[in-house]
Amino acid sequence: MNLRESVGIALSGIRANKLRSFLTLLGTIIGVASVISVVSFVEGMNRYVTDKILNAGANVFQVDKYGLVMSREAFDIANRRPDVTLDDADALRAGMVSATLVVPMTESRAVLRFRNKTMKGVNVHGRGAGYDVVDDIAIKDGRHLSDFDDRQRRPVCVIGPEVAEELFENVDPVGREIRVGGQNFEVVGLTVAKGKLMGQSQDRFVTIPVQTFMKMFMERGSLAIAVKSIDEASLPLAQQEARNILRGLRHQRPGQPDAFGITTSDTFLQLYHAVTGGLFVVTIGVAAISLLVGGIVIMNIMLVSVTERTREIGIRKALGAKRRDIMTQFLVESTTLSLSGGLIGIVLGGGLALLVGAISPLPAALSLPAVLMGILMSTGVGVFFGSYPAVRAARLDPIEALRYE
Amino acid sequence: MLISIRGLHRVYQVGDQEVRALDGVDLDIAQNEYVAIMGPSGSGKSTLMNILGCLDTPSTGSYRLKDLEIAKMSDDELARIRNQEIGFVFQTFNLLPRADALHNVELPLVYAGMRHEERRARAREALALVGLADRMKHRPNELSGGQRQRVAIARALVNRPSIILADEPTGNLDSKTGEEIMIAFENIWKQGNTVILVTHEPDIADHARRVVRMKDGRVEDDRVNPNPRSAAAAAATPPA
Repeated sequence: MNLRESVGIALSGIRANKLRSFLTLLGTIIGVASVISVVSFVEGMNRYVTDKILNAGANVFQVDKYGLVMSREAFDIANRRPDVTLDDADALRAGMVSATLVVPMTESRAVLRFRNKTMKGVNVHGRGAGYDVVDDIAIKDGRHLSDFDDRQRRPVCVIGPEVAEELFENVDPVGREIRVGGQNFEVVGLTVAKGKLMGQSQDRFVTIPVQTFMKMFMERGSLAIAVKSIDEASLPLAQQEARNILRGLRHQRPGQPDAFGITTSDTFLQLYHAVTGGLFVVTIGVAAISLLVGGIVIMNIMLVSVTERTREIGIRKALGAKRRDIMTQFLVESTTLSLSGGLIGIVLGGGLALLVGAISPLPAALSLPAVLMGILMSTGVGVFFGSYPAVRAARLDPIEALRYE
Repeated sequence: MLISIRGLHRVYQVGDQEVRALDGVDLDIAQNEYVAIMGPSGSGKSTLMNILGCLDTPSTGSYRLKDLEIAKMSDDELARIRNQEIGFVFQTFNLLPRADALHNVELPLVYAGMRHEERRARAREALALVGLADRMKHRPNELSGGQRQRVAIARALVNRPSIILADEPTGNLDSKTGEEIMIAFENIWKQGNTVILVTHEPDIADHARRVVRMKDGRVEDDRVNPNPRSAAAAAATPPA
């Protein structure tokens, strides 16, 4: 029918009265904007989580003393457990059938020094062989640390690009000596840059053999052991194997809780979903209230519009407009109105998400489903809250309407 | 017979009082007649016009238009008849204020479901016919009263209806402009249209070839006008 005409009437109405239209649409704008921005954040986080955490650590679980500790009491209990040691790692490597890699890991921070330059607070990673897979790092210059380096506890290291840039500037770092926490190390490799993760540089580190780490920095203390299973299907089996071996080493009886922690990416994922799920519920609440209020305001404005244009409705009916024609006209108007609000909300919410994403470490991605959802929601509001005024308009008696002053 | 009305009653309930606006009307109007329906206010002529225009349905009785029984039609069927068979001209013009002349004239064709280009062409043609070819893009508030009424006439004609139904078409116009409008109606009638004028002004009714007088909801008098006033001649006569 005269869709274009109805849309035109609605748009000219919006233009003619900008302030009133803005106030009318405020609820819809806020509702859609809040949904879009939050969905964009969650979407960005999801992408980030799947990209960085899950892919890098595919089929990997981690054994350590603590596991995922969520309370003070749990920490106190976990703190009394025996340390996880290199012997545990050796036992796992020897005893597990479903594991392809067993990588002991530890870390701390130290000051680096090269000639007269120093760099504070650099992450020092102590790693066993296979760390390149688990940490997902690749070599740009030089070589990786070897099993031999580890067994000989050699003072060698691989450095991240940010360390190379700050300490060496234009000098080729491979083959040079640096001091890590007061000890001399030879740089044997430089890794490929990985960029930032949650605003944290992933390139500001030095990796040394785990046994060298233990000899120089940590005679005693607990390690973490990363275990990679053969494939996704064998992941639960691998965890069971690891559990059995470690329980055996700790002489645990059946029924006793594990005296160690096993965390998988699933553990983090569950935590992550719990947080984002809560965020979603709050957003849906805010959006629902805003859209309800926005819808009622739109309904009110449409009722005013129907009354103001009673005579027009009468004229249209006299000229042959059916009920459906009048109803369509007013529904298109209310939907155009609310959809305009929705589009403004999408721009606002998306802009907000992208702005925050640009100036803060929080990732944000404007997703097509979120935009579609915004369009759908605002259209829904227009149709739902526009239908009562539209029905009122359609039911007007033409004689009464023509007589209306 | 184009229009055939038998035993028409229209009763309104006002409070607990029954108002018999039409109390047994019989009326036949043939193709290409020029009829004036006259009567004082309260005579039932407005009610009769609403029913003739398919804006209202009778309480009892029969109204056949082109052999279709209108009395029992639904709202949407009535809307279709209004669109196809009736061309309204109102005292207050009743143009859409925000639309230009062309768009106003197009409106019945929009509801007839006609395609855009054809609609435009037909609306231009109708406006040219009433001498407003150069005013198509003007809005009602940019037009004089007479021009507005001519836009309304073009709108009434555009879908080639069976009846042109004019309700006090000169009521809001000065007498000179009123005469111009009456010339327009005369021309429309001469082109083969059926014109029904509803008026309480004898001067206006005098243009018609047949005059039906209403009183108390009945047809009081129905006769051929022996000396219809030629609109063209009247316009030529200088005002006394």
